[in-house]
Amino acid sequence: MVAIPTNVNGTAVELNVDGHEAAVDVIREQLGLTGTKLVCAGGVCGACTIQLDGEAVAGCLTPATAMRNAEVTTVEGLADGDDLHAVQRAFMAHDGLQCGYCTPGFVSAAAVFVDGWRAQQGDAEPTRHEIADALAGNLCRCGAYEGIYRAVAAACRGEHDDVGPSARVDAEDKVTGAAMYTADVFPENGLHAVIVRSPIAAADVGATPMDGAPWVVDMLGELRSVFYAGQPIAALAADSLAEARRLAAGFPIKITPKPFVTDPESAKADNAPVVHDSKEARKAAPNTAEGVAFPARWNGNVRGPVSTRFRGISANRRIDRARSNSDPGLAELTVGTGMQLHTSFEPHCTVADWSDPQKLVVWTSTQAVNHIHEELAEHYGLDATAIEIHADFVGGGFGAKIAVSPDMHAAIQLSKTARRPVRLVLDRREELTATGNRPGSSTEVSLLVGDDGGYEAMVMKGEAHAGAGINGAFGLLAALTYRRAPKLTQDRDILTNTPPGAPFRGPGGPTAAWALESAVDQAAHQTDRDPLELRKTLDRNQKRIALYDWALDLDLWKSRTGPGADHGRFRRGVGVAAANWIYNLDPSTEIEVAIESGRLVVTTASQDMGTGSKTVLAKAVAEVFEVEPADVVVRMGVADGVNPHGPVSGGSRTTPSIWSTTLDAAERLKQEVGGRPLTECDGTHVRAKRAKDDRRGVPMTLPTSLQVGRGFSGALHMSEVEVDTLTGKVRVLTVYGGIAVGRIHSPVTARNQCEGSIIQGIGLALYEQQVIDPHTGLTLSSNLEDYRIPQLGDTPEMHIHFHEEGWDHVPGGGVGLGEVATISPAASVGNAIFNATGWRPTHLPIRPDRVLEGLR
Amino acid sequence: MIHFPESYETIEVPAGAVVRSGGTDLQERLRSHNAAPTIVDLTGIAGFAGIDVNDERVRIGGGTTMATVARELRATHPALAIATGSLATPQVRATGTIAGNLTQHSRCWYYRHPDIDCFKSGGDSCPARTGRHLYGVAFDTSDCVHPHPSTIAMALRCYDVAIVLADGTTRTLGDVLGDGSDATRDHQLAADEVIAAIEVGPGWTGERGAYFRSISRFEAEWPLVECVVRARFDGDVVSDCRLAIGGVAPVPLEMEVAASTLTGGALTDERIADAAAASTEGASPLPETGYKVALIEATVRETLERLRNG
Repeated sequence: MVAIPTNVNGTAVELNVDGHEAAVDVIREQLGLTGTKLVCAGGVCGACTIQLDGEAVAGCLTPATAMRNAEVTTVEGLADGDDLHAVQRAFMAHDGLQCGYCTPGFVSAAAVFVDGWRAQQGDAEPTRHEIADALAGNLCRCGAYEGIYRAVAAACRGEHDDVGPSARVDAEDKVTGAAMYTADVFPENGLHAVIVRSPIAAADVGATPMDGAPWVVDMLGELRSVFYAGQPIAALAADSLAEARRLAAGFPIKITPKPFVTDPESAKADNAPVVHDSKEARKAAPNTAEGVAFPARWNGNVRGPVSTRFRGISANRRIDRARSNSDPGLAELTVGTGMQLHTSFEPHCTVADWSDPQKLVVWTSTQAVNHIHEELAEHYGLDATAIEIHADFVGGGFGAKIAVSPDMHAAIQLSKTARRPVRLVLDRREELTATGNRPGSSTEVSLLVGDDGGYEAMVMKGEAHAGAGINGAFGLLAALTYRRAPKLTQDRDILTNTPPGAPFRGPGGPTAAWALESAVDQAAHQTDRDPLELRKTLDRNQKRIALYDWALDLDLWKSRTGPGADHGRFRRGVGVAAANWIYNLDPSTEIEVAIESGRLVVTTASQDMGTGSKTVLAKAVAEVFEVEPADVVVRMGVADGVNPHGPVSGGSRTTPSIWSTTLDAAERLKQEVGGRPLTECDGTHVRAKRAKDDRRGVPMTLPTSLQVGRGFSGALHMSEVEVDTLTGKVRVLTVYGGIAVGRIHSPVTARNQCEGSIIQGIGLALYEQQVIDPHTGLTLSSNLEDYRIPQLGDTPEMHIHFHEEGWDHVPGGGVGLGEVATISPAASVGNAIFNATGWRPTHLPIRPDRVLEGLR
Repeated sequence: MIHFPESYETIEVPAGAVVRSGGTDLQERLRSHNAAPTIVDLTGIAGFAGIDVNDERVRIGGGTTMATVARELRATHPALAIATGSLATPQVRATGTIAGNLTQHSRCWYYRHPDIDCFKSGGDSCPARTGRHLYGVAFDTSDCVHPHPSTIAMALRCYDVAIVLADGTTRTLGDVLGDGSDATRDHQLAADEVIAAIEVGPGWTGERGAYFRSISRFEAEWPLVECVVRARFDGDVVSDCRLAIGGVAPVPLEMEVAASTLTGGALTDERIADAAAASTEGASPLPETGYKVALIEATVRETLERLRNG
């Protein structure tokens, strides 16, 4: 330990640090300044950015000793008292954030840039390129880049030197670092837990030695075998994280390697090692999707097919005939997608406190406080009021944080044993290895369109590559898109000894769209039809047809030239793709609106993982009472057996569940108040339940209280790309996103989410891919340098168009958009590349090496 | 334990200790390996950071940040400055130093993985060679197949350079980098040998420089291929030229044939194409790096077009 004098946020302090410690850890743990976040731990993402003598530096790579005799400013010190920095105000006004986990780093770096810019350039506006260059050391996984551009530009123009509006109700907490995420909870007297993971892709595992550390819990259960590298075996806790990690590294557990297989082609061979080689193992295979797996036959590592048939025999017959007739209306492609990782910036983490045997308190980064509460109460046999789940702020989820995860149980059980609080936070390598993925795929698709452009037939044979997980099927989603016609889809899971998949925004959607929408584009090309006009004849969803008409009128589309018309080094092209999604809701949703201390308070046991649900609640109450959303106190993120049942943030079910319910509660409360001043109404409260839709959907409720309502939402994406045929680099220049989900209740946050969907779609299309070592099954792309997510500078110009008609049967007139907005961007990029070059990319991601190969 | 020597004379590196300058490579490795070795932190040494210019040479203190190099040598050593200003991120350039950049460890995803051994981490194989090496070398001259990570080392290939060690002795850049055959090490300095400064010859009068890295995204990504060139012109005619490429071999490569192809004529499309083609001579790509041969040609061409366009 060495004592270093320093000055943090204007206060002189003396820190005691070890030579190897990084600044970020000392700032968070010793000073308690948890605004600064640790995300990639490799200097890539900038979430830990602090200012050191006025320069933006990465707190994870800066030794703590570098703070010696320095002026350190963290996000908590950017404001001058209550007077926020102009950049903080700009991020609030322009909604330059979603989950907020990257925000402290972004505003800390942007403040350095904006102050420097204004000192040199006055109130001139920097170009987008200059902003991207200055902030190339910061990443946002939600993809709030458009708002970030606008915020930084406006701050440079001097527009935010005074107090201004905030687009979302929790933005101030996020730009100041006050927002407390689970990873920011460091309980007093807490233990640090880590997971012992298998470094071997397939192995028999001995009994967990319960004396291998002061506190140990087994995570493997009775089967005693692992089927992927990175699989949890046990968890242990110690007084410090370093000690826990040391114990985990030397944990005395017997692991006997078995043969394994890591790539799907080899896995299909007759003599391949079988991933799940017993009935019990197959039954326990991880489920990639939310909800129940369709039953299917197993044959070695092949599970399925699971089929969707609508006149399937006709579909096959028509396609066979078209093939033998060389019918130009028949488009046949073999396509593939890579495994995409969620990499939420707040990792999976849980802080469990069961030191009082009568009360279990769990902070956890989840998309489902209420669901988790119910599951854990049942699992541990607790009364609903004997367990609390807290997720006040959630640093992104994207689908990977819906279920009760093994690390949650580990922290809880360790706390139960130790009777001390236990903190378990995954590191980035774990997060990028073993917390789920959007499964990869390999698909053969045949689409036949008639002479009149009508939908004649479609056959899709899809393989899901969900590692050791099952139920990666996506064919049904393709079959549900467009008109009725003879259709046959067959899905197979190809099991490998690699990390299992998990739900990821629009599960299966982008995968199905990559096959189907490429085929539609190819059919349009072969029959010399406008791809939008062809979709108009294939489709019967009136909402989406309205989007086609909107798109046909765009100048970008009208100025489009034929495929491969460009012959220079840089070739531009425009492509479209459409999306279809089911309408989900949680019919059990309840909202309470109350008056406390003269203020309006809205409560539900749901959470805001960056989508803007808190803002939706506040806006609904504000609309009824004719006040500002900021005047409404929002209580989300706590499930304690008292707060009303709130929906999971997943499946685009949240807004259609909470908006109208909040309006109902607020209106009834307003009637009760009857015009009295709120200050005289303390204690008045109303609880409303989600009203039924006017038209019934699927009469069945899934385990997370999910119900499928009537009608399909739609989207259409049009992308303009520039392909550098020399270096193989693809840039997406412009994207139009048309979204048909009915009424938009919170336009700013909705737009932000649609823009983020495009950014994540560009990642899927061009950059992102989990890479597995064939010799060990270990994930090689387990850091944010080798797992490449889109940067600010990769952001196209984005234009979002909402078609707000067609959902009158839903209370509030609108449905959710988180999924439908994310399905078609990648396919639109692929179709744009075809339009630019005449070469059709078939495999994602479309890396430079693939472009060079394709154009050779 | 941590030591803060205040002068080069008082540097002592105990067995097992590591030397630290900016820390932007070391800190990541310490965390991912849960390591807490004794650290010899050089940042307290007087004169370790900073640039001295005289007529003969430019002396860049080993602890000079990359942001400083990029800013202060822009006029006299544009190729070095532009390349340095293009690497990593603003945050890393603000604290990472030139000595640290030269001596950083491999960025291979096998080497960086705590559960995998390779030649560079004490093992006896290169798992990337038979595994995944999409970002591997296109000049296969070592048992290790990952390219050298240092953009600055590549840029320094284009200059007359002396590496001054803490004990006052000097090494050539070649001494420090080695010849690219040693799979076990990223550089040839011993654990207790510390770079005090890098001395670079003066720029040419009227010298211009250009740099380009081929990557998939906007910035802040390790190069698939990168190229740097410095040149002086007599009218339109290239009178002197040096060119180097990186991201393709166990050490950055100076491309003397390409440079001589350019010297003595104008930067015509044809001469650029010839130089670009010459830069791929001797390439021996791996199964997954065949694309890099075409990309070397593309990257050299783009760099030279940037040089031509000023």
